[in-house]
Amino acid sequence: MAGPPATPGRCTAPGLHADPGLQPERTTLAWNRTLLALVVCGALFLRWVPRHGAFPLILSALTAILALVIVAGQARRYRRSARGISSGRTSADVAAVAGTSAAVVLTAAAALLVVVALPVR
Amino acid sequence: MGGSSSAYDGPVTSSSEHRPEGRGAWAARLLGGGVEPDPRFTLANERTFLAWIRTALALLAGGIAVEAFTPAAFDPALRTFLAVTLLVLAMIMALAAGLRWLRVERAMRRRAPLPLPLLVPVLAAGGALIAGAVLVVVLVAPQGGG
Repeated sequence: MAGPPATPGRCTAPGLHADPGLQPERTTLAWNRTLLALVVCGALFLRWVPRHGAFPLILSALTAILALVIVAGQARRYRRSARGISSGRTSADVAAVAGTSAAVVLTAAAALLVVVALPVR
Repeated sequence: MGGSSSAYDGPVTSSSEHRPEGRGAWAARLLGGGVEPDPRFTLANERTFLAWIRTALALLAGGIAVEAFTPAAFDPALRTFLAVTLLVLAMIMALAAGLRWLRVERAMRRRAPLPLPLLVPVLAAGGALIAGAVLVVVLVAPQGGG
């Protein structure tokens, strides 16, 4: 790239790795697919809005926010795993996994609530 | 097991001062002792977790869709049954995906055999139940009801 070499800034060399298995790319793409699935679920919630009112709308907004949070972390995530691959040591991302798992459990629970408990308008 | 033994030359015992990114004490406690596995294995475990989470999200989307898009195809009781089954299955999958990720991570850190995927029979049984229910309805239902 013809970028200015004089900026010893944020994402220069640490973004590079020599892994022929392309682990950082695959992991980042796996997060990408996951957040797209999340967006699909959020869009499906919109179908409930005419019948159930604001609650599914809030759910839809929350899933969209979660997807945005994942998007915002993608660059950091890639850099971090690339650095981990090249240094031979990485730390498991407990917070991301626990947060995603909990968020999907809660979303499913909320959808269950809509199905069994929410009155149809 | 415990990570308190100092026999490990590895980085992780109870402190994380070696770690440039740092890790919360709760996360270190969740992961238990042992040594950091190969980064590629950690990333592979994360991708496997994400694949399970997408499975859960697909079930979740299916549950919402069955309830929201099929008012003419199924009678209300069956529609609710299918949606509830799919959504409960989605909850189980999402929870179990996180727990399995943790168990695999802990096993890798201790160089122990990986745990069996208990999710697989649950998913297979749930999928068979739902497919069977839909099949029965399609075969039994009077044609041209709508």
